[in-house]
Amino acid sequence: MVTMANEMNRPALAARIRKERHNPGHPSFTLDIEFEIPAGFTILFGPSGAGKSTVLDCIAGLLRPDRGHISVDGTILFDDRSRIDLPSHTRSVAYVFQNLALFPHMSVEKNVTYGLVNLPKPQRAAKAREILQAFHIENLASRKPGEISGGERQRVALARSLVTSPKILLLDEPLSALDAELKTSIIADLRAWNSARQIPILYVTHSSEEADALGERTITLDHGKIAQQQ
Amino acid sequence: MDSLLLSVRLALLVSAILFVLGIPLAYWLAYSRWRAKFLVEAVVALPLILPPTVLGFYVLVAMGSRGPLGKFWQAEFGHTLAFTFTGLVLASVLYSLPFTVQPLVASFENVDRQLLNASAVLGANRLRTFFRVILPLSLPGVITALVLSFAHTIGEFGVVLMVGGNLPGVTRTVSIDIYDHVQSLEYAEASRMALLLLLFSFVVLCIVYGVNRHIGRRLWSPWLTK
Repeated sequence: MVTMANEMNRPALAARIRKERHNPGHPSFTLDIEFEIPAGFTILFGPSGAGKSTVLDCIAGLLRPDRGHISVDGTILFDDRSRIDLPSHTRSVAYVFQNLALFPHMSVEKNVTYGLVNLPKPQRAAKAREILQAFHIENLASRKPGEISGGERQRVALARSLVTSPKILLLDEPLSALDAELKTSIIADLRAWNSARQIPILYVTHSSEEADALGERTITLDHGKIAQQQ
Repeated sequence: MDSLLLSVRLALLVSAILFVLGIPLAYWLAYSRWRAKFLVEAVVALPLILPPTVLGFYVLVAMGSRGPLGKFWQAEFGHTLAFTFTGLVLASVLYSLPFTVQPLVASFENVDRQLLNASAVLGANRLRTFFRVILPLSLPGVITALVLSFAHTIGEFGVVLMVGGNLPGVTRTVSIDIYDHVQSLEYAEASRMALLLLLFSFVVLCIVYGVNRHIGRRLWSPWLTK
């Protein structure tokens, strides 16, 4: 196993995943990977169909690996040998999807507080205010996702994911449709937010320019295998 | 007028029962990965293509004194279900089931799966996801299901005649009443009631299309145009 966790004794994310997928009309696909990452940005890079989103889905609990082990910050999320498979809603994993998946019938504020249902109302409102300010979208609180721009929607999606104080953040090419300037500004906000919290952020991209620009640890996937780690 | 009130009472009751039964059934049909699910889908859709007299016949047999349901009812309540208002309600629930379940299934399936995934990773269990995401986004389908089950029950004839007969104040619904008036050559009365049903059906369809258009625009259009 190649270990990239040199900043910390324990890796923030340890994953060993084997998953076979058979879709009618498509060649069968096998994801077979093993990696560990520390807190901070890690780029998961590879061409379309390399298995990047499958990795994220397995970590989030949206897909069940056939075999393997996934742990975040020492908590086992999945382990086939000990038959541990925590349901998605109990994993404390934040996931920003490629299409963002904002709830179209809710305001920005309702979207952001969706994951805070267990908190008392005043605390919920305070947390929402804090995160909306951190991502410079406090003026959009009462708007619906359909009434704001693409860049603002990306910020809302990030805020909604991070407000729950997750143990890991998964980003599935959420900024691919934005121009470079906007992308840099959002990434800067994200880095600023994470500097105090230090959770692992797994950022999926198929663009080599984007991977280079982010200039972080990179895991390159190809045909379901790790081709390179640096 | 009694028959009209009876029909409205029957339709309200049937719609309420179908709403309660139809939502979990439609949810299961929309999201279950069970391979033999098509069998349940076929059973639910049967009343759409089955002649009402055939459905009515089997329901009548089941409710009769020798049928399983009839025997049970007789033992519990001292009478069979056939030719009673309760029997009529049960038969109507079966007959209108696809008119409730199918719009609901279509609406539930239409909700973007990624929204359900987003809800799950944000800590919501299935029940919360259903009430906060699926149900609000399926509102047009829910309204369609309610209105169609109500309207379909108001206008039913064959099943009512088979299971309920023609007992004034008990099972004589508005469509049976129209038939009775025609049989008695009372065309003026029949025409008045038929016109009432025609207007009612037209208004119901206007509500379905109008409300769906309004809600659909409010929910989705700004999202799609960006």
